[in-house]
Formats: sequence, C-alpha cells, structure tokens
Amino acid sequence: MGKLLMLMLEGTFTSLRIFFLTLLFSLPLGLVVAKGRMSRHRIISSLVNGYIMIMRGTPLILQLIFVYFAPYYIFGSSTDRFTAVIIAYAINYAAYFAEIYRGGIQSIPQGQLEAASVLGFTKVHTFTHVIMPQVVKRIMPAMGNEVITLVKDTALAQTIGVAELFRVAQNAAAREFSTMPIFIAGIFYFVMNAIVSKSFDLIERKLDYYR
Amino acid sequence: MKKFLMILMLAGLAVATIGAAGVKEQGGDQSLQKVLDKGVFVLGLDDSFPPMGYRNEDNEIVGFDIDLAKEVTKRMGVTLKLQPIDWNAKEQELNTGNIDCIWNGFTMTEERKQVINFTDPYVNNAQVAVVKAGSPVKTLADLAGKKVGIQAGSSASDAVYGNEAFAKSLKEIVEVKDNLTALMDLEIGGVDAVVLDLFVANDNIKRSGKDFKILAESLSAEEYGIGFRKNDQALRDEVQKQLLAMAADGTLAKISTDWFGGDITVVGK
Amino acid sequence: MAVITVDHVRKSFSSLEVLKDISFALETGEVLSIIGPSGSGKSTLLRCITNLEQVDSGTISIGGDTLVHTDDQGITQYADKHTVARIRLRVGLVFQNFNLFPHFSVMRNITEAQMHVLKTPKDEAQDIASDLLRKMGLPEKADAYPFQLSGGQQQRVSIARALALKPQVLCFDEPTSALDPELTGEILAVIKELATEHMTMMVVTHEMAFARDISNRVIFMDDGLIVEEGTPEAVFSNTKNERTKRFLSRF
Repeated sequence: MGKLLMLMLEGTFTSLRIFFLTLLFSLPLGLVVAKGRMSRHRIISSLVNGYIMIMRGTPLILQLIFVYFAPYYIFGSSTDRFTAVIIAYAINYAAYFAEIYRGGIQSIPQGQLEAASVLGFTKVHTFTHVIMPQVVKRIMPAMGNEVITLVKDTALAQTIGVAELFRVAQNAAAREFSTMPIFIAGIFYFVMNAIVSKSFDLIERKLDYYR
Repeated sequence: MKKFLMILMLAGLAVATIGAAGVKEQGGDQSLQKVLDKGVFVLGLDDSFPPMGYRNEDNEIVGFDIDLAKEVTKRMGVTLKLQPIDWNAKEQELNTGNIDCIWNGFTMTEERKQVINFTDPYVNNAQVAVVKAGSPVKTLADLAGKKVGIQAGSSASDAVYGNEAFAKSLKEIVEVKDNLTALMDLEIGGVDAVVLDLFVANDNIKRSGKDFKILAESLSAEEYGIGFRKNDQALRDEVQKQLLAMAADGTLAKISTDWFGGDITVVGK
Repeated sequence: MAVITVDHVRKSFSSLEVLKDISFALETGEVLSIIGPSGSGKSTLLRCITNLEQVDSGTISIGGDTLVHTDDQGITQYADKHTVARIRLRVGLVFQNFNLFPHFSVMRNITEAQMHVLKTPKDEAQDIASDLLRKMGLPEKADAYPFQLSGGQQQRVSIARALALKPQVLCFDEPTSALDPELTGEILAVIKELATEHMTMMVVTHEMAFARDISNRVIFMDDGLIVEEGTPEAVFSNTKNERTKRFLSRF
C-alpha cells in the first residue's frame, strides 16, 4: 500500500507538471489569440478564428496524437512526448482561454475606453490598468471551470505514453486486480480540484472590493 | 471537507466490495445455465488486437479468436456477442459481469491464474521485441539504456516488468493505450523497441509493410487461454469441452490454417 | 482670445451627415451652452473637439494649435500623434454616464492620469486630488469605490478627475441626464461655482433654465447646423427664429 501511494504520488507529480506548464503557456498565449481574434485585419482575425474552431471542434486526444506523431511524417523528426503533451495542451487551452478573454474584454463598457482616451492614457496603459484588471474579475468563474477541466484532462496524456496519475492507477489496478487504485486516483483528482476551486473562490473574494 | 472525503472513500470501498460480493452470493454454479437461458455469450476483447480480434474494413470484428468463439457458441446453441472493452479495465469488466469471458490472445500468467479461471491453453505464444530494420539492436541485452514501448496492462507489460533485470537495464518503459500507438511510436523514434505478442508482431509487420524486424531472442514463452470468472466453473468446462471436440473433428486445425497457414493450436495435444 | 475655434467642420456616419458645416469660437473664460433636440449633432460636436471622433473635413484649433485642418486643396489632415496627445489634454470632458473606473478608488480615479500622463509625483497628485474633492464637497470619499457613491457623487468625482489635469476648457456632455431629478441640482451647483471662477466651459445640456442662468452665450443646434447663436436673453427670450421657438416651446 505504501509503495502504491508512492507510485501514485509520482504520477500526481507528473499530472501537476502538465497542469502548471499548460497554464504557464496557455494563459499568455490565450491573450495573444484573443487579440488576434479581435484584430481589425480580416486575414488575421479569420486565421485566428479558424485556429480556434479547430482547437474547440476536435477532441483533445486527437490533437495530442497529432502533435506527437505528425511532425515525424511531415518533417521527419519528432518531439519528446512530454513536450508534445505540453504543446498540445497549451494550444488547445489557449483557444478556450482566448474566447473567455475576448468575452471579458468586449464586456468592458466603451465609455471607460473613451474616458481613458480623453484623460490621455496610452493604449498600453489603458489595456493593462483599465481593461485587464476588470477583465480578470469578470472572467474568473469561466476560468475556474476551464482550469478544473484541465486537471481532469491531464489524464489524457497517457495516450502518448506519459505516465500520469491515471495511468499509474490503471496499471496498479491491473496488477492487483482491484478497483481500489482507481478510486484512490479519483480522490487525488478530487483533492486537486478542491484546491483549485478554493483558490478561485479566494481570488473572487479578493476581487470583490468593487462592483 | 474531511468528512466529505471520508464518505467518498467509503462509497468507493462499498462499490468495490459489492462488485466482488455480487458474484459470490449466488448459490451453486449457475454460470452455464445463465448463458444458455439468456441465449447470449458475451466475449470481452480489445478490438485492436490483430490477428486475434480486430476490426476489418467494414468495421466488423474479425480474427482467429473470433472464429473460434463463433464455432464454440454455435455448438453451444447461443449467440455470440462481441463486447469491445478497454484492455486496461478487463478485470473490472469481467468481475462486474459485463462480459462472460476474456478471449482475445489472453496470456495465462501466474498472477492472472490467481484471480481468473482459465481454460487449458489453446495456443502457444511468446513475447518478442520489435525494432526498426536498420537498428543496431540484435539481442535483448542490446536494449540496455534504451526506451521500450508496451501496451499498458498487456501481457507484454507483465513480461517486461516480470523480467526485473531486463526492466532495470532499460532507460524508460513507455506505456501507451494500444500496440498500434506503440508501433507508431517506434516508427517515429519515440522508442527504440516495442515488446508485444509474437502473433501480433508478425501480423502487424505483414499487413503494415513497415520496415520492422523481430529479435530472435524472446522475452518469455507463453500460453493463451480463455479467461472466466473464478466461480464460473461450469461455463469454463463447457467451452473447454467444445474446444476439445473441435480439435478432435479437425475444425480447430482448419480455422488455424485459415489464419496462420498451419495448425498452431495445442488443444488436446 | 479664442481658446477653441471650429471652422467649417463636417462629419458623417456612413450616409448620415451629423455635422453640416459647423463654425464657432469659444472665448477664454466663457461659458457656452449648446442646446438642441436629440440627434441634432451637439454631442458629436463635443466628441470631435475631444478627439473621440474624427471629422471628415474642417479645421479645429485648441489653445492656438491646430488639431485638424482642411487646406485649400480640400485635403484634411490631423496633427501628428504627439501634437494631438498634447492638445487634447487642454480639453477635459465630463460624460453623461460618468465613466469612472470602477476598480479604482475615488482617489486613484483622480490621480491616475496625473501620474501616468503628466508624470506628477504621487504626493503632489494626491494633494491636488484632495483639494478637488474638498471643492466638490466629497473630502471623506477619497477611499470609497465608485459603486459606493450616489450618481451625483460619482459625477462630482468625474468632474474632479477632469479638473485634475488642469484643462483650459472643460466640456460637459449632458452631465445631469443620467441622474435622478433630485440629484441634478448638486451638479449644476458645481458647474455654477466653476463659472464664477472663470473656468472656460462648454456644456451640452437639456436643462434650459440652467443654460439660461449660467451661460454667457448659447448655441442652438438642429439637424447638424447651428441655427442660432447669441446671449441667453437673445436666444431664450427674444428669438426671431421659428425652429428655436418651436424647440423652446416644449420646455
């Protein structure tokens, strides 16, 4: 039992690495994508829109397989499997985040941008000091949903051979002919997501000083 | 929060034990009678396991094992239902009664024999390593410090992990969902070798036309059996009886020749 | 001396011509009211002066510098980015809907532009803000957030925010239209007080009594044109113009 828990903690560590690295890359990338989507240049906005449609319109598991295997057939070289997981997750989640950002940015009343403009704020200052802080507050509930989904989606990484928590649990289940490891994994995921929800609750409460 | 976790854990335990208890509580061995009453025999398989069981171009499940099972169920007078399962969850599928047997190039390992009621072996098999044709790897020892791919939960996985010295010599053991993914991984250089069933390896190399070769040295010799629930003795005996009859009248040899060009079966021999 | 001159300004939104050849001048220390029915173009005129909209043609000068100019060949050109940025700070704008930044405290709403745009040190910016809040009768609201204030209080903060940049001209775009009737008085009182201090102001308003009371001059706009221009007496009491009469008869 002790050995099993150690193995599962190792798997959890891999899952957490996937989780945090995905967030690290997809959160800023999503902003770039959102900006592209809202671009006034037709070509840019429709290209980005196409990218978002593909990312949201195909299963993540397929994208995972594509990112890992396709480069070999196209370029004749392949990426490390863990890197492939991070790339696939980052570009997938960036698409979802981008749409959430876009909704948040577009929900900021036009009048505030006009006020900023009349007061002489630069575009960058307006974005970083007026728009983004309010966007962050508005998108928190939707982001919470996505981040919780990401915790559970880490289980797909086993498709291309990354031994994350769920793979470890399934292997243990097969080895010991018992469903117990799977249930323990369920508890692990549940605890991780409980922490995620709590964190989002905290952030939301922290941002509650204005309406 | 703590309380909630406790409840969740207890619920998990409850589900796990009920699954096991449900099987034990039946008085007497009704397993065969139940199948005959239903008129349906549910065979659980990983439907991406050629040539034992896989999907052809028309998306029908075919294979050597499938042909055997068809003949057996015909003789039993019941309908064969093929139930694709996640190979990694096969024990749960069997124990919870979703399927009546696992019949899919199912290797009889010592561990499995503890919890599964196997028929006598019907085919001999081996776990072999496949490498790219140009690979410098000639023996299993050459794989030291290299990456090896396997299908998670497969008997190849048992063979690799079971051979501790070999497993320790490897740089990494990469487990993927199915053999096909493992072989694709071999092709793109993600792993240096894939360990899998001899039959599957032969069939894959033949059909894909990929430049792979099988190492002469095999990891372990194995036997295929059909797996039933521990308590389903009557059902297991009936299938065994039919297989013996098929061996006696030459049907088994005929099916084997159809698939492998010769009789590879060991029933009654 | 004219602080703002507007000369032959035209502006269309797609096929709809909103400003049809507008010319006038705003003198230093003057309070100018612009009245007229909805859709007459008076708000658009303010937005063109504050550079929230770009004119199609015409010339606008602010404090002696040209914001936009149409030359003899009919080519309309805006000043370069830096000049525009410099000029536009000479004109403050108070919005109908206040447009305070909800995530900033009252203090930060007033200090942000001073610090970011004028590079005023924080201490000084806060001193200026405190003085303005006292003047607006809100000295205790510095740490409050906009949602904690009444509409009238929010509008007073937004006036303080505009004044903090020390504009040469303060423009008001229907400053009381979003307020409950009982709250309009406090805003009008503030504007009146600014008038006594000789703040140059341009007020787009529907409050006829107020326009008459505080203005040095009144412009009546209708259908994108300046129909009449003169002293409050001339426009409100002695107009000869039929359109002005018809408009005023509704109040």
